[in-house]
Amino acid sequence: MSTKAMTTGRSLSPRWMQSLRAREAIAGYLFLLPWLLGLALFIAGPMLTSGYLSFTRYDIVNAPKFVGLKNFIEIFTKDRLFWPSLLLTFRYALIVVPLSLVGALAAAVLLNQALRGTTWFRTFFFLPHLTPIVAAAVLWGWIFNPEVGPINHWIRTITGSDDAPGWFRDPAWAMTGLIIMAMWGAIGGNTMLIFLAGLQGVPQELYDAAVVDGAGLWAKFRNVTIPMLTPTIFFNMVLGIIGALKVFAAAFIATAGGPAYATWFYALHIYTRAFEYFEMGYASALAWIFFFVLFVFTYVQFRQSRRWVYYAGEVD
Amino acid sequence: MTNRISRRSFLQGTLAASVGVLAACAAPAAPQTGSSVDEDEAAAPAMEAINLRWDTFRGIGSGWNEERIDTFREMHSNVTIELRPLAGSGQQDNYAKMYAAQAAGDLGEVIAFDPSHYHFWRAINKNIIMSIDELVATDGTDLGEWFEHFMSLQYYQGQLYGLPSWGWAGFDTLVTNAVHLEEAGIDLPDPTGHDVSIDTINEWAHAFYSEGERFGLNISHNEATIVVLCRLFNSSLINEEGTKCLLLDDPNATEAMRWAYRLGVEDKILPAPGDIDNAGGALTAGLLTMNWCGSLCVRNFKNAIEDDSIAKAWQILFPTREDGRFPSQLRGGTWNIRQGAENADIAYQFLLHIAGHDGSLSFNLVGGNFAMVRPDVAQSLVGNDPIHEWFIPSLENGIPAHAPANSRGREYTSAVQQWTDLLLDPNQPVAFEEGLQDLHDNIQAILDKDPA
Repeated sequence: MSTKAMTTGRSLSPRWMQSLRAREAIAGYLFLLPWLLGLALFIAGPMLTSGYLSFTRYDIVNAPKFVGLKNFIEIFTKDRLFWPSLLLTFRYALIVVPLSLVGALAAAVLLNQALRGTTWFRTFFFLPHLTPIVAAAVLWGWIFNPEVGPINHWIRTITGSDDAPGWFRDPAWAMTGLIIMAMWGAIGGNTMLIFLAGLQGVPQELYDAAVVDGAGLWAKFRNVTIPMLTPTIFFNMVLGIIGALKVFAAAFIATAGGPAYATWFYALHIYTRAFEYFEMGYASALAWIFFFVLFVFTYVQFRQSRRWVYYAGEVD
Repeated sequence: MTNRISRRSFLQGTLAASVGVLAACAAPAAPQTGSSVDEDEAAAPAMEAINLRWDTFRGIGSGWNEERIDTFREMHSNVTIELRPLAGSGQQDNYAKMYAAQAAGDLGEVIAFDPSHYHFWRAINKNIIMSIDELVATDGTDLGEWFEHFMSLQYYQGQLYGLPSWGWAGFDTLVTNAVHLEEAGIDLPDPTGHDVSIDTINEWAHAFYSEGERFGLNISHNEATIVVLCRLFNSSLINEEGTKCLLLDDPNATEAMRWAYRLGVEDKILPAPGDIDNAGGALTAGLLTMNWCGSLCVRNFKNAIEDDSIAKAWQILFPTREDGRFPSQLRGGTWNIRQGAENADIAYQFLLHIAGHDGSLSFNLVGGNFAMVRPDVAQSLVGNDPIHEWFIPSLENGIPAHAPANSRGREYTSAVQQWTDLLLDPNQPVAFEEGLQDLHDNIQAILDKDPA
C-alpha cells in the first residue's frame, strides 16, 4: 500500500470511522440480540414480574390484587412449613455438598492416573449424570423399595433379619435415601469433570520440585494439588451449594415431600404453594426470600474465599 | 349494417344475462296453500353448526369419550364436540391446567371441577362454572334419577352446578381376605350386615397378625381413611360447615385416633411406613387380612385374585353409628358447564348424555371409573357383577364428605396425611397427646385461612 493510500486510509473521515463503529456495534448487538431477548423475556421479565407478584394475592384466574407486605408477614409469622423446610434444605446441602465434593475429587484423582481404560472409566463415571432426574428417581424408588428392592434384599441377606429400612416411605430414612441418590449423580458428574480439568492444569514442575524436596504422595497431594485446585474447589463448592439448596425434582418424584414432611424442601414448598394451591403471590414472596438467602450465602462465600483460594496468576 | 357491438348493447346484454342467472338462483316458489308440504318446515333455516369443547381427564384412552361424542352426534347432527384430553401426571394436576385455560380464555364449555377434589366450590367462587337450575327447569330433568347424596354434592349456596359423574362411599369398607377367616374357623360376616363391632375388628387385627409374615389390619393415613375412622366413632374429622377440626373438641374423634394409635404405635401390629408397598398386592398375596379401603377396592381385589386358595374377596362394613348412618364418606365428581358458555342448552344436553343411564354405565364399564351414582346404573352393575349389590346400602345411607369452607381442600388433605404419618409412626413414636395436638392444630390452621 502506498504512503498516499495509507495516509488516505488514516485520514478517512471520522464520519466513516463512526459509521464503521456503528456498523460493528449494530452487528454486535444483533449477535447479542437472541441472548438479550432471552434474558429479558425468560429471566429478567419473569423475575421482575414475580417481584411484583410477591406483593399481591394472585390465584391465576383473577387479576393480581396488591396486598403490600402481607405475604411476607404471613411467611415469617404463620407459615408452619417455612422454617422447617428452610432448615431441612440447609441440612441436606450441608451433607450433600461436602460429600459430593470429596467424592468427585477422589474420583477425578483416580481417573487422572495414566492407566489403561481410563477413558472408559471416565465415560462410565459420567453416565449417572446423563440420566434424567425423573428416570433416576423412578430407578432409585425401585432400588429402595422396602419389599422387593435389591438394597433391602442385600441387607436382609447379610444381617439375616427381616428388619430393613423403609427408605423413601420411612420418615427416618427418606432423607438418607435422597442423599444417596444425589451422591450417585454428583460424584461422577460435572463436578468430577471440572476437577479433572483442574488436575490436568497443575504444572508438572511443581510435583517435580516437591519430589526433589522429598515429598511423598500425600505431601504432594496436600501441598501441591490441593492449593492449586482451590479455585476449582471454590467454583464447584459455590455451584454445589446453590444446586443442593435448590433440590426439588428428586423429592417431588420420589417422596412428594413426605412421609411426614421428612423431605419437604424449600423449593417443594414454593412449588406446592404456586402450582398446587395456586397462590402465585405467596409463592413469589417465598422465592424472593430464598433468592436473598442464596445471594447472601454466596456473597459470604466469595468474601471468605480470599482467605483460602489461591490463584496462580493473581498479581498482588 | 355493422358487426360492431356498441358499449350500450354490451351493457344491456350483460345486465340481461345477470338477471337471468340471478333468476335461476332464486328460491323455489312457495307452494300453494293446501299443498302437502309443511309450511313451517319449508320456511325453516338450516340448523346452526355448533361446536363444543370438552376438557376432561376422565375416561381418556378408554374409548368412552369418543363413544359418547359419536352417539350424541347421531342425535344432534349439527353439533360437533371437540374432545381435549387433559393428561396431568396426577388427577389434581389437571385443575391447574383448567384454571390457566380459564385465565387465557380457552377453557372448554364442558368441564369438571370435582367436589371430591375440593375444586368445585373454588371454581364456583371464581365464577368458572355456571348454575344449571334454569337448564334443568327448561328441560324438565328429573333429578331423582341420581342418588340423593351425589346430587347434594352438586349444590352450593342453594344452586345446582352440575350432574354427578363418578361417586362411591369412600373408605367405608374393610376389604377382607376371606381365606384367613375361613382358616381360623370364623363364619364370614354378612358383607352388607354392618354387624362386626369395633372390638371385634380390634380383636381380629391382633389375631391375624403374625410377626414377619402377615398383618391383620392396614390403616392408611390419608384423609379418606381418617374421616371414616372418626365417623366410625360417631364423630367426624371436621364439622359439616368445614370450619372446625373436631379432633380435640369431640371426645369421640379423640377416641378414634387413640384406637388407631394403640394398634399402630403401642401394640405395633399395623404396617409401619415401608412395611407394605402395595396393600392391594399384599391382600392378593395373602400377606394382609383386612385393608381399610372402599367398595371399589373390593371390586379390584376380586378382579386381581389369581389363586383362590390364597385369597378370596370379601368385605366387612363398619357398624352402624348411633345416628343410624353408616360410617362412610360419600365422595364424587361432577360434570359442569363453563360460565358464559355459548349454547349452554346444547352443552346441558351433552351433560345429560354422559351422566344419564347409558353414559354413566359405560363410564363404569368402558371408562374404568366407579360411578354408582344412579340407582338404575347400580342395578345394571349388579347384573354385570353381583358384588355391586354389596355397595348399595352405603350409597343410600352414607354420610357425604365435609369440605373446608375456604376451599383449601388440597392443603387440608396434605396436612391430614403428613401429620397423621407423624402421629402413627411406630418407629419414631411421639406421645399421643402431643401428636394429636399437632395434627389438630395444623388442620385447624388451614381451616382458618382466607378462602382460596
